[in-house]
Amino acid sequence: MKSRLKAMALILSLIMTTAALAAQQAYKLRVDGLACPFCAYGIEKKLGAVKGVERIEVDIGAGTVTVTMAEGATLDEAAAGKAVKEAGFSLRSFERVQAAPPSAPGGQAK
Amino acid sequence: MKTVVKAGLAALWLGAGTAWSAPITFNTALPVHQGGYVLREQFVFMKIADDPTPARRDMEVTGLVSVLGYGVTRDLALFGMLPWFDKRLDMQMGGQDIARSKQGFGDLTLLGRYTAYQYDAPGRTFRIAPFLGVKAPTGEDNAGDSFGRLPPQVQTGSGSWDALAGAVLTYQTLDFQIDSQVSYKANREANGFQAGNVVELDGSLQYRLWPRSLGAGVPAFLYGVVEANLVHAAKDRNGGIADPNTGGTTLFITPGLQYVTQKWIVEAGVQIPVVQNLNGTALKSDYAFTAGFRINF
Repeated sequence: MKSRLKAMALILSLIMTTAALAAQQAYKLRVDGLACPFCAYGIEKKLGAVKGVERIEVDIGAGTVTVTMAEGATLDEAAAGKAVKEAGFSLRSFERVQAAPPSAPGGQAK
Repeated sequence: MKTVVKAGLAALWLGAGTAWSAPITFNTALPVHQGGYVLREQFVFMKIADDPTPARRDMEVTGLVSVLGYGVTRDLALFGMLPWFDKRLDMQMGGQDIARSKQGFGDLTLLGRYTAYQYDAPGRTFRIAPFLGVKAPTGEDNAGDSFGRLPPQVQTGSGSWDALAGAVLTYQTLDFQIDSQVSYKANREANGFQAGNVVELDGSLQYRLWPRSLGAGVPAFLYGVVEANLVHAAKDRNGGIADPNTGGTTLFITPGLQYVTQKWIVEAGVQIPVVQNLNGTALKSDYAFTAGFRINF
């Protein structure tokens, strides 16, 4: 009985670990210089071209861009910085955040 | 008359290089994103009259200016501008009313703009960008009608290769944007005629009227716009001799509106001359109406 419980716990732990690895990663970018709606198009286009990016949400008032990745994909700061720079802006900060549900309003699917 | 046409169109041609949420009548220092395109179409109607001479000249110019911009790098953008004109000159000659007109494509202007200085902060940016361009004689410059060769101001092209240079400064925040530009256009001789060189100083304020406060996401902006264009044109030269009835200084004020979204902008303004210190019998501008749109892709 005890060994059966141990086996079940191990299986459960493996399932949870796999699910966590496959979950969507999201990142919040603080972007300096973003000050008009027409500008936001370029940053969406450039970040949307980064491999694995699934969803982009720009909040112009807060000066932030939230990037949600496809399951299993990650975004590194250098790639994000390059995309922001090519769009004509400056990356102030880069942090990993909790992924929002896909139905969240205001986002731009890639 | 040539002076006023030149002054108004100089502002609009340079303005045609605009590729961002920016002034209606001139350029901006804001970027076209690397590998991105901006297309601008601008409709222009100019009325030029108040002729003090017995010829009672009255000119109308309708134009459609097409501009394509491309972001070569983050800092370097190239622009091509091609206008189409419908020009009509009504006047009295020998006691008769006559009309002289010409329609067709004008001269192609190619412009390179480099962002030499950029300072970005949260919700704001400051940029300075010099630019350099050349105007190619793609428009017709030797058209005629039953009265003979059309005067230079009715031709759709100048026939000359001309150069232009300047710099534009932009300070943009979420609430407003200020642009300022200085430019110089050096005109060369063609068919014995040389239009006077043009120096121009421009300023623009765009103020967000709506929405009053920003929520989440990327809302569309409605900007109220006020622009000023101070244009000085030197005298034209015919056969090497300066024409005393050309050249002078004009100050235009342009109130307007812009509706700005992520992918497109629509805008309209009326360019009104508030000071016209022109030489001799040069015709004065009544107004110029401009409306257009921009899309990026």
